Amino acid sequence: MRPELPTPAGPEGNGDYIRVEGLRVSYDGTTLALADLDLVASRGDFVAVLGPSGCGKSTLLHAMSGVLQPQAGEIEIGGHAVQGSMGSDAPLIGYVFQDHRLLPWRTVAQNISIVLHAAGVPRAEIESRIDRYLKMLQIDRLRDAWPMRLSGGQRQRVSIARALALQPAVVLMDEPFSTLDEVTARLMRQQLAELWRESSQTIVFVTHSIREALFLANRVYVLTKGPARVMEVVDIPIERPRRYEDPRLTDLEGQIVDRVMSVWGYGEPESEPTHKERQ
Amino acid sequence: MSTAAPIAVGGVGLRSRKRSLRIQASIVAWLLALGVWQVATLVSGGWVPSLDRIALAFLEDLTTAQVWADIWVTFRRILVTFSAATVIGVALGVAMGLNRRIAAFFRPIIVIGLAIPDLVYIIVAILVLGTEESSGLIALVIALVPFVVNIVVSGVGARDQGLDEMSSVYRLGRRRYLLDVLGRQVAPALLAAARTSFAFAWKLIVLVEALTQPRGIGAQIYYSFRLLRPDHMISLALLFIIVLRATEAIVFTPLERRLLGWMR
Repeated sequence: MRPELPTPAGPEGNGDYIRVEGLRVSYDGTTLALADLDLVASRGDFVAVLGPSGCGKSTLLHAMSGVLQPQAGEIEIGGHAVQGSMGSDAPLIGYVFQDHRLLPWRTVAQNISIVLHAAGVPRAEIESRIDRYLKMLQIDRLRDAWPMRLSGGQRQRVSIARALALQPAVVLMDEPFSTLDEVTARLMRQQLAELWRESSQTIVFVTHSIREALFLANRVYVLTKGPARVMEVVDIPIERPRRYEDPRLTDLEGQIVDRVMSVWGYGEPESEPTHKERQ
Repeated sequence: MSTAAPIAVGGVGLRSRKRSLRIQASIVAWLLALGVWQVATLVSGGWVPSLDRIALAFLEDLTTAQVWADIWVTFRRILVTFSAATVIGVALGVAMGLNRRIAAFFRPIIVIGLAIPDLVYIIVAILVLGTEESSGLIALVIALVPFVVNIVVSGVGARDQGLDEMSSVYRLGRRRYLLDVLGRQVAPALLAAARTSFAFAWKLIVLVEALTQPRGIGAQIYYSFRLLRPDHMISLALLFIIVLRATEAIVFTPLERRLLGWMR
């Protein structure tokens, strides 16, 4: 018997700040990376997108950020359609890449300031924002350091500081802790959860770690193996602050593992009905 | 009971030893080259000028005002050729590196341009445009551009596409992207292109001057050849090489330090 997962409350009632509908992406015109993918998030929501490696999770974020043009479907953020370059009044998007993507010829502070300059943040405010977010992420002593002199965890902190200092409406995070050691990753998850609680930002967090998704998010979209479809939407009814070792997270993790085992493994993705089909 | 002596590890000692080895190797190479030259003088029966004759000719040229006037004429021609070839080559190289259609259009032209011997450009320019100073310079710019383009296209092609995506996501804009993201990534290639352009310009200008011009170091070297004064041919070349190396030390080295300082 299939274990009972918490039923999603239904995004419709929350007011959709992010709306992805029928998203279809193909890199070569024939092989699909995303197949009719739907996702919604309300303002201030923390949504995790969970899927096996290579299923198309990063492609989803690329499309949501406007870097990638989908073949079909619609993406709206804050009422603005995402199509390549959005208008100047479109909501700002922060992006934390898996591999930090800092400019190696700019110092930590300069890596943040270049983004703030481009976003039109007043000069007088730029320095104070840099100080604030570097302090928040406990890397203020690295203000004038070159990225190549930093550890992986420090670089990722800078990348997060860059995304948050922009004070964007939406932060897209692409497996930001996957290359870090487990202890650093746990600290960073804890820190991210606290930062999100203090802000009103909407976060879409992509990961292949079930526990990470359950620990961080309010709602988890479980994807099939590529081409990615939404297989399950799970609300996480656990109060915050959460503990990474919480037994309730372990229970939920076990249930999700049972569900995805055949779909993420070598079985045919089509063998499992999608979330849309079940509805 | 005896205690083990502390072991000196790497650091300053190792660096200074490596530096001293480099200096020693350089001195040995110079002495060897000078020895081979002196042997060649003896074997050639005087056609290869001796080191002391070259030194005397060098001192004579160094104190001749006409030689400095010729150095300035050649230097000015190099600057014009180098600047034009670098500007055109970098612009075309960046455009080809970023746009597949532009690359597809220009690639065959660049490949052919690289294969044509430089002398052919010079002769064709003289036949078409005459022996005016400008005809030689135009020929040299056309000869140099494919080299610069080739280096810049490789640099742009090897850029980190992830940084392109970052620039796009954070809407850095075209100017910031070109200066802060692409420009800094291809800076080593641009410097290599500028250095190549500078070095080739000198080599080819001398040839053009020898063939078509009454003034300039190339013309003076050719004049010395006609008067069978090999010591002056070599001393003029040495003098100009010193000027070029000084220019490189004053312009390119600080520029390199400024652009690539973050790598150290």
